[in-house]
Amino acid sequence: MIRTENLTKVYRMGEVEVQALREVNLEIQDGEFIAIIGPSGSGKSTLLNMIGCLDTPTSGAVFIDGIDTGKLSENGLAEIRREKIGFIFQQFNLVHTLNALENVALPMFFAGVKRETRLKRAEELLANVGLGNRIYHKPSEMSGGEQQRVAIARALSNDPEIVIGDEPTGNVDTKTGNTIMDILEGLNKEGRTVIVVTHDAEIAARAGRTKRMRDGRVLD
Amino acid sequence: MIDKFLLAYRSIRERRARSILTVLGIAVGIAAIVALMSVGYGMEEAITGELTGMADMISVMPGKITGHTYVELGSFTDRDVKDLQRISGIKDITAMTYDAAEVEYRNKRAPVFVLGGNAKELGSFYVEPVGIKEGRWLRENDFKGCVIGDRVANDFFDDVIHVNDKLIINGEKFIVVGIFEKASTLYASDVDPHIFLTLHAAKEALQTNEIKYIMVQVYNIDEAEGTAEEIEERINDNHGLDDFANAMTMGSMIEQIGDVFNIIRGVLVGIAAIALVVASIGIMNTMLMSVMERTHEIGVMKAIGAKSSDVLSLFLLESSMVSLVGGVVGCVLGAVAAKVISFGAGTALGIEFGAVVKPEVLLGGMAVAMVVGVLSGFYPARKASRMSPVEAVRYE
Ligand SMILES: Nc1ncnc2c1ncn2[C@@H]1O[C@H](COP(=O)(O)OP(=O)(O)OP(=O)(O)O)[C@@H](O)[C@H]1O
Ligand SMILES: [Mg+2]
Repeated sequence: MIRTENLTKVYRMGEVEVQALREVNLEIQDGEFIAIIGPSGSGKSTLLNMIGCLDTPTSGAVFIDGIDTGKLSENGLAEIRREKIGFIFQQFNLVHTLNALENVALPMFFAGVKRETRLKRAEELLANVGLGNRIYHKPSEMSGGEQQRVAIARALSNDPEIVIGDEPTGNVDTKTGNTIMDILEGLNKEGRTVIVVTHDAEIAARAGRTKRMRDGRVLD
Repeated sequence: MIDKFLLAYRSIRERRARSILTVLGIAVGIAAIVALMSVGYGMEEAITGELTGMADMISVMPGKITGHTYVELGSFTDRDVKDLQRISGIKDITAMTYDAAEVEYRNKRAPVFVLGGNAKELGSFYVEPVGIKEGRWLRENDFKGCVIGDRVANDFFDDVIHVNDKLIINGEKFIVVGIFEKASTLYASDVDPHIFLTLHAAKEALQTNEIKYIMVQVYNIDEAEGTAEEIEERINDNHGLDDFANAMTMGSMIEQIGDVFNIIRGVLVGIAAIALVVASIGIMNTMLMSVMERTHEIGVMKAIGAKSSDVLSLFLLESSMVSLVGGVVGCVLGAVAAKVISFGAGTALGIEFGAVVKPEVLLGGMAVAMVVGVLSGFYPARKASRMSPVEAVRYE
C-alpha cells in the first residue's frame, strides 16, 4: 500500500515560492489502477516523483508498504526505485547509446542480475510488448510508440509491484496510446499497482479510480 | 553486453573525437617522461659503461675542484712522479704535459693542444679504446714523430693531413706517424683535437718541464680509493700544501656522473610532469563535459535504480580506460621517440649511444597515467554520482 501524509513540496526560486504540493493525503491500495488528472501545473508530476522516490518532500511523508521513505538512505531509495517501482516517463528517457535489449536489461544490471539471465529476461519482456523483432535497435531507430514500449519493458525488468506512468501516452498517437493502456491494464490484471497521470479523459476512464488535482491539492 | 566496461566504452566511443584528444594529451605527457628518462639512461650508460672499463685508473691533477670548477694550482715535478713509483699497488704511472702550441701545416697555422706522455703508458690509455686509423702509435724513441686526432687531421687545416706529412710545432719539424680514428663520446674531447708526442719531445717543443697530469693504474680496483689518498698526501707533502693534488678514481668519477645524471633526469621529469598536469586538466575537462552532457542519462540511470556508487564507478572506469589507453600509447610513443632522439643526437654529435628503455620506466609511466586518470576523473565522477534523479530527468 502507498500512503502520503500531509505531503508538501515547495519550490523556491529566489524570492518566489511555488507550492507544488499542499498537504496531500492519498492512499493507494495494492493492486489498484488509479488515474490522476488535472490541469497543467497542478502538481501531478511532482506527486508521482515523490511516490516514485525520485524526489524528496519539503514536509510530510510517503509510506510504501509501511516504510517511511523519508527515513531511507540514498542507497535504500535506490533499492526501492530499482526493485519495487517501475517508472515510465512521458519522454521515454531511454539511454540512447544502448539498444533496446540493453536498455531493458539496465535495471537488472544495477540489481546485480547475472548477464545471461538478464539478457534472456530482457528479450522476453520485449517480446511481451511486441518488440521481439526490434531488440537490437537503438532508440533513435524506433518510433515514439516503440520507444515507449521499450520503456515499459524496462520498467518491468525487476518485476516491480508498482508501475508509475507520468503521461505515458502523452507523446504518442491515440492508437498507440490505446496499445500502451492495454499493456498497463494487463499489468494491473497481473496484480500490480498502476498509477497513471493523463490529460486524456478517455484513458482515465479505463482506470479503476480517478483522482483530480488542482493547485497542489488532490480533490475528493 | 551491458557490462560496466561496455557502458564506459560506449560513452567513450560516443564522444570519439574528444576521447582521442584526451588519450593523446595523456599519451604525450607519458611519452615525454618515458622518452626523456630513456635517453637520459642511455647517455649515462654510454658514458659510465666506457668508464667502467677504466675502473683501475686514477687521474691526478695539480689543482682543486670546488663545486663544478677546476682551478689549476701549478704543475707536478719529476720528483712527484718518482715518489709515486714507491707507493705499493701501483702498476703504471704516466706523467703528461700539455699546452697550446702554434702548429703549421702547408703554410696554414693554427693553435692546437699538444699532449705529451710516456709512449707505452699513454698508448695504453688511448690506442686500444680509440683505435689508430692510419699509421702507428708512438714509440719511446720517436723524438720527431707525432700522432694526431681526427679533427686535427681533417678539420683544423685547409688540407687533410696524412701519415708521413710534416707538421711544424712551435717551429720544430715533426712527422705524422699515426692518425687516430674518430673517438667515441667519452674520448672525443681528449683525443680528436690533440697532437700526441712523447714526453721528451713535448717538453722540448713546449719549452717546459711542467707535468700537468698524471695517470695511475692500480693492480687492485678495490684499493684504488686508498691509493688515491696516498698519492694526494705524498704530493701535497712535496709542495707543502694541503690541497694541491687532486687524485680521482674512475669509480668516484662514475659516481659523480651518476649524480649529474640524476639531476638531469630530475629536470627532465619535471618538464614532463608539467605536460602531464596539462594532460590531466584535459581529462578532467573531458570528464566534466561528459558529465554535463549526460546529466540526463545519469538521471535516468538513477531513476531506474542505479546507486550513487554505480554512477561513480562508471565514470571512474571511463576515465581510467581513457588514461590506460593514453598510458599504453604514451609508453610506445615514448620508447620509439627515445630511440629516434638518441639516434638523431648520436648522429648529429658524432657519438654512439642508444636509448635505454627500462621496464621500470614503462611501468612507472603506466602507473602515472592511471593515477592521473583516476584523480582527474574523480571530481567529475563524484559530481555525477551526487546528482538527484529528478533534477537530472527534468533536463531534456
Ligand atoms: N524544479 C522546479 N522548480 C521550480 N518549480 C517547479 C519545479 N518543478 C515543478 N515546478 C512547479 O511546480 C508546479 C507543479 O509542477 P508539476 O510538474 O508537478 O505539474 P504537472 O501537474 O505535472 O503539470 P503538467 O501537466 O504540465 O506536466 C508548477 O507550477 C511548476 O512550475
Ligand atoms: Mg507533469
